[in-house]
Amino acid sequence: MKTGTRKTVLLVIGAAMVLTTAGCGGGLLSSGASGAATPSGPVKLGMVVPISGSSAPTGAYMKNGAQLAVDEINKAGGVLKGRKLELMVEDEACDAQQAVASANKVVSAGVVVSVGGYCSGATLPTLPIFQKANIPMIIPAANSQDLVKQGLANVFLINGTGKQQSTTALAFMKKSGFTTVALVDDNTSYSKDITTETQAQIVADGSVKVLLNTSVTAGESDYSAVVRAIMAKNPALVYWTGYYQEGGLIINQLKKAGFTGKVMVADGSVDPSLPKIAGAGAEGVFATMTQTPDTIKGAERWIANYKAAFNADPGPYSTQSYDAVRLAAKAIEDAGSTKGADIIKALEAIDGFSMFSGPLKFTPEHTLSSGGFVILVIKDGKFILNALQP
Amino acid sequence: MSENVDATLAPQRLGPPRSPISRLLESRLIGWVALAAALLAPFVTASPYSLNVMTTAAIFVLLASGLNIVVGYCGLLDLGYIAFMAVGAYTAGIISKSFELPLLFTIPAVLVMTILAGLIIGAPTLRLRSDYLAIVTLGFGEITRITANNLSVTGGPSGIFGIPGLLKIGGLDVENPAVLYYLTVLVVSLFVLASARLGKSRLGRAWRFVREDEDAAEAMGIHTYKVKLLAYIFGAIWGGLGGVLFAAHLSAVSPQSFIFLQSALVLMAVVLGGMGNMRGVVIGALVISLLPELLRDFASNRYLVFGLLLVVVMVFRPQGFWPARGYERERATVDVDPPAVATEQGR
Repeated sequence: MKTGTRKTVLLVIGAAMVLTTAGCGGGLLSSGASGAATPSGPVKLGMVVPISGSSAPTGAYMKNGAQLAVDEINKAGGVLKGRKLELMVEDEACDAQQAVASANKVVSAGVVVSVGGYCSGATLPTLPIFQKANIPMIIPAANSQDLVKQGLANVFLINGTGKQQSTTALAFMKKSGFTTVALVDDNTSYSKDITTETQAQIVADGSVKVLLNTSVTAGESDYSAVVRAIMAKNPALVYWTGYYQEGGLIINQLKKAGFTGKVMVADGSVDPSLPKIAGAGAEGVFATMTQTPDTIKGAERWIANYKAAFNADPGPYSTQSYDAVRLAAKAIEDAGSTKGADIIKALEAIDGFSMFSGPLKFTPEHTLSSGGFVILVIKDGKFILNALQP
Repeated sequence: MSENVDATLAPQRLGPPRSPISRLLESRLIGWVALAAALLAPFVTASPYSLNVMTTAAIFVLLASGLNIVVGYCGLLDLGYIAFMAVGAYTAGIISKSFELPLLFTIPAVLVMTILAGLIIGAPTLRLRSDYLAIVTLGFGEITRITANNLSVTGGPSGIFGIPGLLKIGGLDVENPAVLYYLTVLVVSLFVLASARLGKSRLGRAWRFVREDEDAAEAMGIHTYKVKLLAYIFGAIWGGLGGVLFAAHLSAVSPQSFIFLQSALVLMAVVLGGMGNMRGVVIGALVISLLPELLRDFASNRYLVFGLLLVVVMVFRPQGFWPARGYERERATVDVDPPAVATEQGR
């Protein structure tokens, strides 16, 4: 009797489950891909950026930049004869596993173009997901050489690559007469990429000497070990290629240790909070960076629009994300369809599309033909364009 | 439960299950129901996203069931469990990438490497107790991750990407997310079953004894060192195979996936579910892996909400969702009539 009741209950549960199953669409047995884009209705753009975690501030800048472009395009009538753009933002938290989940989520939602990608390490594993779904990726920030090396047809980088950044850094070192340099990275994909490239180019060039090439562990607060190592070698320039949290601390601790040389940081450290973290050591720190709205002439109106829309200042990669959306819209318009293959062809054909970093034309590798890197310097706690450019 | 169980050592039920609900929950069929639910889930929703999330959850269940052996059964606090998964994932990834082998054929090497890792961390440290062991395992987890971040064979900070699929037989493409999901569910359910059976074996009873009182266990003739080492090795195997599935699932392995938070999350799944109870641990693992995905609408606040929910759960269910029965109750309540136990066993 006891067993009988139990079996009945289980049977009922089983039957209920089967019924629920039959009632739902979207399962394995239902026909047609659930993510297929509808011929009318909004055109969806997917953006996988860090919304949580230590890089969350940059994710917000990117999201706002993209949203601004979406709003502007929609106001001007949308794309493909009146279809609206719709931005779908998902969190990657700079972690591969979360990035893959988010990428799958936006693919399932039927996005037409991906306009996200900040942390190179988290963006790499999302490439095959977008490639399988044949969705073009316009990557606004992530710029590791590893992304280029995959040689995927659907991947386009609109940030300068690590290689181009290294070239700018070396040219600046030569021009301002730094003969000895220490390269410090934080052992993330993006950062290591730049030090490796810079080291290779310096060795090939021969006029600058690398005294030290070392890595620190990101996320710590005491960097005295690397500071001591730098002090021992006493280079004329320290080139830090990691992100701003650690960069600020290292600059601060170098200053306290009495370091007299100069410090230069790469684009991951260009953030309004770097001078705040670095404190007194921040003045005169150089940076290799693509143009930001602050340093572009005639961008005041854009900044005003951004402030009006989000009640906040634009930050790093706001412009790149803005441009990524505009570029996506332009490619969709040129292709006349939302099919991945057509959009990729349209992107490859684009010539002279005006962006913040200058007129755009992709190389066969799908990177920018010129990196657009400039040298910034911190003055009165703010990044401004340096007088001397390479 | 097998018939020749020594009744004095076996985890005893201190009373018959009372309500129909608890009788249903105690039923052995519950495992089959869970498996059926897992197998039917893709018929409800099969978008790449939901398949991805479900596969991740299944792998997480495997990890939690492995850690349950170490923490739940044997009572050894391990704060660096994710390191075993890292060893498994990297071994599988490196071998399959450099020899262009499907991941399935890397399993023997993965087993060897993870057992070795289990021995390396276990052999010198298992003579330590409680807090000290926890500190050493915490260190082991970080050492593994930072080593992987600095070696060139592991691809440094970018890790390894473009890992071939699990297997390719003729037309069956295992890289298809649905096929991979079913394969994962199958493997995971086998290992969850194995872990549950292991807990009821002679060795499992020895583990529990060690957990309750190590000195008494030693006095009763249990070689505690060997038994604890075995717990570590089993835990390592579970973790290593989780790593292989992880590599197959993401087709990429990078050091960022093995940070301390991941170890803490697996431990949280075990504690939240109910230490030592396999069914509870499965539920805990599902909650820990699925809840952050369900909370995605909260955007930047989702981990805050997640944390709050966990605190609420631990306030109302301090022993976890589904604590191991029989040995949690106070001694004062033992006076329920013993014949009930006999009928339950002799049924």
